[in-house]
Amino acid sequence: MRATLQEELDTLQSTLLEEGELVLRALRGSMEALENRDPELADEVIAFDDEVDRQYVGIEENIASLLARQAPAAGDLRLVLAMLHTNLHLERMADYCVTIAKLTKLVYGITPDQRMMVAFQEMGARCEEMIRAALQSFANRDVAVAESLVELDELVDRGNRRVMGHVLSLGSNPAIREWGLRMIVVSRCLERIGDHAVDIGEQTAYLVTGEFREFTDASNAERLDS
Amino acid sequence: MAEPSNTPATISEVSLEKLVQRDDRGRPSRAAQNVVFEVQNLGVSYDGSPALKDVSLEIYQNCVTAFIGPSGCGKSTFIRCFNHLNALIPGARIQGKILYHEQDLYGPGVDPVEVRKRIGMVFQKPNPFPKSIYDNVAFGPRVLGMTGDLDGRVERALQQAALWDEVGHRLKSSALSLSGGQQQRLCIARCLAVEPEVILMDEPASALDPIATTRIEDLMHELKAEYTIVVVTHNMQQAARVADMTAFFSIERGEENERSGILVEYDLTEKIFTQPSDKRTEDYVTGRFG
Amino acid sequence: MSAVPGALRGERRRGRVSGVLFHGFLLFSLALGIGTLVALLAQVVIKGWSNVDAVLLFEPPSADPAIAGARPAILATIYLGLLVIALTVPIGVATAIYLEEYADKDRWYNRLLEVNIQNLAAVPSIVYGLLGAAFLVRGLGLGRVLLAGAFILTLLVLPTVIIAAREGIRAVPGSIREAAYALGATRWQVVWRQVLPAATPGIATGSILALSRALGETAPLLLVGALTYVSFNPTLLGDFTALPVQIFQYIQRPQEAFKTVAAAGMVVLLVILLLLNSVAIWLRNRYQTKW
Repeated sequence: MRATLQEELDTLQSTLLEEGELVLRALRGSMEALENRDPELADEVIAFDDEVDRQYVGIEENIASLLARQAPAAGDLRLVLAMLHTNLHLERMADYCVTIAKLTKLVYGITPDQRMMVAFQEMGARCEEMIRAALQSFANRDVAVAESLVELDELVDRGNRRVMGHVLSLGSNPAIREWGLRMIVVSRCLERIGDHAVDIGEQTAYLVTGEFREFTDASNAERLDS
Repeated sequence: MAEPSNTPATISEVSLEKLVQRDDRGRPSRAAQNVVFEVQNLGVSYDGSPALKDVSLEIYQNCVTAFIGPSGCGKSTFIRCFNHLNALIPGARIQGKILYHEQDLYGPGVDPVEVRKRIGMVFQKPNPFPKSIYDNVAFGPRVLGMTGDLDGRVERALQQAALWDEVGHRLKSSALSLSGGQQQRLCIARCLAVEPEVILMDEPASALDPIATTRIEDLMHELKAEYTIVVVTHNMQQAARVADMTAFFSIERGEENERSGILVEYDLTEKIFTQPSDKRTEDYVTGRFG
Repeated sequence: MSAVPGALRGERRRGRVSGVLFHGFLLFSLALGIGTLVALLAQVVIKGWSNVDAVLLFEPPSADPAIAGARPAILATIYLGLLVIALTVPIGVATAIYLEEYADKDRWYNRLLEVNIQNLAAVPSIVYGLLGAAFLVRGLGLGRVLLAGAFILTLLVLPTVIIAAREGIRAVPGSIREAAYALGATRWQVVWRQVLPAATPGIATGSILALSRALGETAPLLLVGALTYVSFNPTLLGDFTALPVQIFQYIQRPQEAFKTVAAAGMVVLLVILLLLNSVAIWLRNRYQTKW
């Protein structure tokens, strides 16, 4: 019954997961551009964001249409809401990749600090892992995998905090100091990408359990997840 | 009192708390959780074959409670138990109990007239009497001997049913000259004129066009401040729009393949429509089962 | 227009012929029935119209056709009519209400009652006459009086009134009753305030038609003693005659002139019946639109 609705939901979901794959490509591209100090690759990443935006708008419009026409309820309603939010998180993640690419373009001429570059590659790899896990947990409705994102995010957050310390010890060369400041923003972008991945995990949990709860609460020192 | 054998998902304490509205100092401003009806293991059969089995739930005061479910699930049969209308059908038998403010509705010596004085009903197809508008609304008070200030009663009832503005100037004209939506509001006014506590509505808007339906739904919303309303509807979205509590009924097949109605789930409407506990409810509400 | 395929046109032709034939047959039947009726009526009216005058209406019968009237008979017919209405309507309507609203249809005695009423409506009127003669005139000792005639006519048309009243009551939709019950009315209140008022047109029409039949009956009245020669105004417990009977006697007289008087009597009777039927139709039309 309601074959039309089911088809539309399935199509929306696969489009969403496709968008996820696009985001992964954007992340990999921006991290490669950063590591190889490649401005052309950075430009490609920036141009690639149009694709992601196209998917994003398409999904938004289809969800609006589905809500108006099909009046989904219960599990269907939660799925549509989860997809709506996940769509937004994916689009934001892609935007952060663009920011990283733009920053790469600004400072590619400066010789980077190797230790920090290694750290960034670590963080980038973590983020990639998190995005993959988030998408997988959504596709399989797996709350356990969604909750494991919290630990991965902790690693990324720690990396972000260490970057601050590193930058302060970079020295007084104006070029390297400019590089350092820009890299703080890059680090922040990676940290935010991680947060968005956790948010997708929260949406999966909402979809499955019907309750919306934050896995971690920024305003509380201790974690709330059980 | 024995535990009912077939308890559907009971309302959690958290959900019940939502039924009480609080003012901005946190004090309850609406006594929504007073129980008007307590149904205990109710069953109805017609000439021996069961129509409804083992239903237990509570109806709360000043709430709109909706009964939803596929056709043949017994929701109309159930609602007619509350005002003894099933007694009009020969061969109808009731098992179990319905307590109205802790009195057994089907106890010995209970007068159906007294029951119907307090528990009124509006039917699916508007059924005004072939008399004037005034005589329609005045019929109830007249037969029950409530003849003091009849004009006032009629006007108040028509006001409450949002019909006074349209017919106040022509009370003597025939009720049958009104449109379908107006006739249904007239039937509601007729019911209100005897000042019941509870209003039962058996698919009140299913014979009406969308605009008339919306007016009836708005009316339900206004009326629940003073009355307790129970609605049977086959339109899920209507239940979602108007009801505070929703009960989902379904059909169960017995050993000899006889079909009878059962209560599957009863909870706050928003819970039934966002996160039902029972898969059968989920299937019905998402339209996956006919 | 040229696009209409030939097959379509052909079918129209085939169906048309049988349609026309059927239509013709209907018209023929109508003509036959109405034609015969009109012919009969015309005969009577033409013969008797001239004689419908004050003499006929106000003078008692006499051996002389010139001054023979039918006053006692006309009065008796009117009295009978009033008595029949006064008796059949309450009894018939009460029975109908009992059968439709109160009786449990599964009980054997109620089903017996139903079957009997249907049968009684079909019993020939002369049987009622015999019944009256045996039980009322002799058995109860009433004698050959107007009251006995009224009773017999009542019994004769009672089944018809019951059936008409039942139809009228049944025509009241169940939803009206349900709504009335739901408002807290007792069964009696539902019947008295909703069902009967709504059924009144049907009941009235049925009663008047029954009355028309009663007034035209001759055989049972003969057996109950509508005397051949009554020259005084009738009283309840006195000898009596009725218009159909009077007409019957006049026809039996050898004088040709009496035939005219008889025909005049028939015209009067027809006028009375026509008036009654018109009232029935008027009542039906006036109240029918309510639903």
